Amino acid sequence: MSPAAAWTIIRISIAERLVYRGDFALSTLMRFLPIVTQVFLWAAVFSALDAAGRPAEVAGFSYHEMIAYYLLTMVARAFSSMPGLASGIARDIRTGAVNKYLIQPVDMLQYLLLHRIAHKLVYYSIAIGPFALVFLLCRGFFPGWPDAEVLFAFAASLIMAFLLGFFLESTLGMIGFWFLEVNSLLFVYMLFAFFFSGHMFPIDMLPAGIAEIVRLLPLQYLAYFPAAVFLGKVSGPQLWQSLAVEGVWIVFLAVSGRIAFARGVRRYGGYGG
Amino acid sequence: MDTGIARKAENAGSAGGPSGLHVPLRYLRVLATFARNSLIRDMTFRVNFLINVASSISWVLMNLGFYLLVFRFAPSIGARTGWEQWPFFAFLATGLLINSAVHALFMVNADELSELIRTGNLDFVLLRPIDTQFVVSLTRIDWSALGNFCVGLVLLGTALVRMNYVPGVLECLLYAFFVVCGVAIYYSLMIALAASSVWLGRNLSLLDFWFYITTFARYPMEIYQGRFGTPLRAAFTWVIPVLVVVNVPARLLVQSVRPSTASDWFLAAFTVAAAVASLVASRMVFQAALRSYRSSGS
Amino acid sequence: MTAAIEIKGLTKSFRVYQKPEGLRAAVAGLFRRRYRHVEAVRGIDLTVAPGEFVAFLGPNGAGKTTTLKLLSGVLTPTAGEARVLGHIPWRRENAYRRRFALVMGQKNQLWWDLPAAESFRLHQHLYSLPRDEFERTRDELAEMLSVAHLMQQPVRELSLGERMKMELIAALLHSPEVLFLDEPTIGLDVVAQHNIRAFLRDYQQRRGVTIVLTSHYMNDVAALCRRVVMIGQGRIVYDGALDGIVERFGGHKVVTLHVSESWSAGLLRGLGELLSFEPPRARLRVGRADVPVVLQRILAAGQVLDLSVEDPPLEEIVAAWFSAERSAAAALSGGGERGEGEA
Repeated sequence: MSPAAAWTIIRISIAERLVYRGDFALSTLMRFLPIVTQVFLWAAVFSALDAAGRPAEVAGFSYHEMIAYYLLTMVARAFSSMPGLASGIARDIRTGAVNKYLIQPVDMLQYLLLHRIAHKLVYYSIAIGPFALVFLLCRGFFPGWPDAEVLFAFAASLIMAFLLGFFLESTLGMIGFWFLEVNSLLFVYMLFAFFFSGHMFPIDMLPAGIAEIVRLLPLQYLAYFPAAVFLGKVSGPQLWQSLAVEGVWIVFLAVSGRIAFARGVRRYGGYGG
Repeated sequence: MDTGIARKAENAGSAGGPSGLHVPLRYLRVLATFARNSLIRDMTFRVNFLINVASSISWVLMNLGFYLLVFRFAPSIGARTGWEQWPFFAFLATGLLINSAVHALFMVNADELSELIRTGNLDFVLLRPIDTQFVVSLTRIDWSALGNFCVGLVLLGTALVRMNYVPGVLECLLYAFFVVCGVAIYYSLMIALAASSVWLGRNLSLLDFWFYITTFARYPMEIYQGRFGTPLRAAFTWVIPVLVVVNVPARLLVQSVRPSTASDWFLAAFTVAAAVASLVASRMVFQAALRSYRSSGS
Repeated sequence: MTAAIEIKGLTKSFRVYQKPEGLRAAVAGLFRRRYRHVEAVRGIDLTVAPGEFVAFLGPNGAGKTTTLKLLSGVLTPTAGEARVLGHIPWRRENAYRRRFALVMGQKNQLWWDLPAAESFRLHQHLYSLPRDEFERTRDELAEMLSVAHLMQQPVRELSLGERMKMELIAALLHSPEVLFLDEPTIGLDVVAQHNIRAFLRDYQQRRGVTIVLTSHYMNDVAALCRRVVMIGQGRIVYDGALDGIVERFGGHKVVTLHVSESWSAGLLRGLGELLSFEPPRARLRVGRADVPVVLQRILAAGQVLDLSVEDPPLEEIVAAWFSAERSAAAALSGGGERGEGEA
């Protein structure tokens, strides 16, 4: 695809998203409300530990670190969540809308990637206000800014979370070439992703055996990893190793997606539509 | 759940229509038809129904998994509050029962109300010789939400066994009664927010608000402490009484937090008053919304 | 005999709020809203006797649907009075609601995914109809509309025409004395339209129901009603028999000539507006008042083999009136919005 075409796609997608910007700012702020209850819940947990005379840490996280963790996973989710990507691909396959990618000189995966980038850019431009406000109010929970190396790794992990999330969900969507009713599968994935990505709780809280298995999965990079990096839970050579592994996952999923697409198209009867 | 019965004052005694005992019977028959039609519809889309049941149950199980993890590290929620693992699970079970009941009976209808207002199809509801709020609130019953209700019952039973506590008949009746009060409060909030779309239009969906407000009620009220917590707790107890919804019935069954002091019983009495007041207030909001709708057309 | 419907000076105006665009406008909209005043119905006086079949005819936006909604109690008027069967509609008494029915074309009251039979059963309970009476009425109506075999099929699988028939059945299950029909045949194919008209005529004759029908199809009106009420810009412009419309609105006549070869197009054009000229036939449009003069000139001008003077088709007259109304309404609202204000 030519750079000009790519830029056009981005521009159009941005314009499309901006139409809905009114609802965005308010709903983004509202999305932080459940965190408030989480804060109180963890405060209660830690005070119970205190009353029982136990050390004030859960799986290596202090109270402040725990709250900071949740806020950071929200940032990570802002990068890695791909609402409607997999189901959209599956739907396009089912309805035959995929045809337009096959007829026109547009590469589907490239198009979707640019489309997502554009949406994310708009989302960030609007969400940055509420996010900044919340982080400002909650700065007491953070141990201060980490050093440059960690910050760099954090930024890298966020961008890679975006790529990983994209290729993971787009590849999942490709399953629509083989199974028409992909929704049940997607729902199972969503469940797993939510529980084992660190979105709900730090992976460190899992019992040893389960935690090891979960760390083998790429899901942790969607929410847990960037937060853990920022808080210094992963450091030194282990940090760069993990990033490298994440890189491998990204390449693997990108290639798988390509292969799945090529094979799927060949199998594709052009049904629907 | 038949809020229409108490409010048939305007409908009863009209010439040519049934009166006296016939009216509540009629409402029950209509409700039974709603339930039946909804079931037929849900069974027609069986796959969707099963997916809904499976997904909501899985969601609940995930949350339970999370709390199991938390209790690996901490003995209770809140210092010396009495909410250890199984009492806490009894609390969660109560929340499940109330939320799933509200979901099954009212959630789809509240969503639909905004649609009815927007498309003007509310006109048709206004034509029927029956209370409009009744029809609007109960037309669609979401049977798939009962999956969670069953999970709630199982969880409650398990928790009671683990706590070695067998509640007496009076306690069970009181529990059921306060669960109903909780449902009434949640319902009132929901229908008032949904009806407000008459004034606010489609852009601002206040129904989402309902979800965010009720997340505060997911945990025992004892967790709200400190500089921000105490006023929050007061606001959500006495002003928008969502905190009493799950807390009051749940406490009945958990020995360590059983109502014993006068203030506990006061809270229970307040809950009953709050339930009645919420129903009345939401009724007024609904009527006002109808008046606005009728004078502005579709 | 007391009238079934009595309307005096019924008026209804709306405030139409502008939907805000963009974030800033949306927030500002919470405090101050810009609105436009729309006068949908401006003082209607009407009396309908029991058993009459009346049509409201008029272009879109004329106020027909609004009037029906006022009479159904769905809307509350800004001013004026109305009584239907002695009741004030917007009081929405249950006793009134049992005695009338409203059907709106292209708007669906039945449960979408369920067979019509289930929606009918709901109606039975809503209106407290005794079982045998309900079943008898239902089967009778299904017979008349030939849809008995479709009652167990989900409504969404039915064609538009079949759906409309089900809607009619649902509306008539409780044997209303007054029936309001808002564009019942809109969007239907010719056969379905015909069937529904036949049914309505039959039903009305049998039951003596008072029916008010709004439509912008001439065929509906011509087939069903003797009395037509033409509504334009919220006011009643004409109330009387169908034939009278021609008198009132027909501004011209169509003169058809069979002429000899000596006639030319130019000659014809001098007499009136030339609608068509395929020798030997010519058609002219001539203003009513000019007809005698033109006839004289024709007979004086040359050999005429045949001559006839006719009214233009009713549709044409009404259509012409419609477009005149539309332009008038557009001119009124286009040039600056009346009563624009900030609330």
